[in-house]
This record gives sequence, C-alpha cells and structure tokens, in this order.
Amino acid sequence: MAKTGVRNSIRKMRFEHGEMTQQALAESVGVTRQTIVAIEKEKYSPSLEVAFLIAAEFAVPLESVFSYEHKKKQR
Amino acid sequence: MDMTFREKSSWGSLLALGAVAYWYFPRAFRIASNNNEATDMLGISITCIVALIIIQAIYHGIIASKGSDRIDERDILIDLKAERIAGYVLGIGLFWLVGHIVASGSSDMVAEVGTLSIAVWILFAITVSEIGKLSARIVYYQVDA
Repeated sequence: MAKTGVRNSIRKMRFEHGEMTQQALAESVGVTRQTIVAIEKEKYSPSLEVAFLIAAEFAVPLESVFSYEHKKKQR
Repeated sequence: MDMTFREKSSWGSLLALGAVAYWYFPRAFRIASNNNEATDMLGISITCIVALIIIQAIYHGIIASKGSDRIDERDILIDLKAERIAGYVLGIGLFWLVGHIVASGSSDMVAEVGTLSIAVWILFAITVSEIGKLSARIVYYQVDA
C-alpha cells in the first residue's frame, strides 16, 4: 500500500531515548506493536490522540515527531 | 509470522467458517431442492452452529493464551473497511435473490422458488459476505492499512 502523507521520526526518537523497543512504545501509548510498525513505515496515519501520546512519550512537541508532506491534487 | 490477535482471529474464523460452509451448503441446497423435511435442515444447521462455536472457542482460547488480545484504533479502522466490503457483498447477494424470485414469473413467487431454498440462499449470502469481510480484513492487515 502507498505511504501516507504523514512523515515521522519515531525510529530515530526511539534510538535517542535509550533504544526504546517498539513493544515498549506500543504499551505506553496503548496500541499494538504492529500498529507502531505500520506508523513507522508511514503506511498508517495514527489518530491525533495517539500522535500526541507518542510525542509525549518522547517529551517533545508533536511537530518534532510528525510532519505532513502536502501533495497537490492533480486535476 | 508477526500478527496481531485480531489478524490471527480472522485467519481462524475464515478457515473455520470456510470448512463448515463447505460441508453445510451442498447438503442444505440438496435438502431444499428435494423439498425434504425442515427437520433435516434444522439438524445439519444445529450441527454446523455447534461445530463453529466449539472450533472458534478452542482456537481463540489458544491464541489469547499466547499473547495480548488488545484491539487498537488500527484494528477498528480495518474492521470498518472490511465491514463496508461485506455490506456490498451482502447487498449484491440479496438483490440477486430478489431478482431471481421476481424472475420466476409465478403469481406466487415465493412458493415457486420454495421458502426453504430462499432461507438457504439468504444464509449463503450472509456467509459469503462474512467470508468476504474476514478475507478483506486479512488483506488490509497484510498491506498495512
């Protein structure tokens, strides 16, 4: 499946936070590890709530973890 | 293979439902077309329901004991997408059945087709839509919805 427009630096953040595992991050934000995998691969866009929880886990603002790549619609 | 509880559950349900449907529908259609007693139909229907419940209970017990049975927002999104596909399949199946009854051209359309046959066809449409839903769910998990 095509990547979403939402970009993230979760992988980098995890390694900067003591090599946090995907499982640990998933448990702290209340999702499954497979969902973290899908978010990291940018194949699934998390809800705002989960995005805020992930940013809070790394103690950074939302925009430090997530950004949006605006794609112009072709007419 | 790295699968969530929901994905494993979908695989189990799909295989169980497929196997039971494969056993049930040839018999059910044969009984309906031969105008056999409804009690014959009731017998095989109860057998199938009990078999499905037992298979699913055992399978879900096994996979729940091996890991978390947590369901998150991605599971719910995938469920909704799969439900939409199942709705289309069921709608097409039921429209086809109504069309078939109307096309019989008889003054008593339901009697012409047979109430038992109609019941089996409705159950068949529901089963196909359920199989469609489970298959769609598995595909969405595989492609990372």
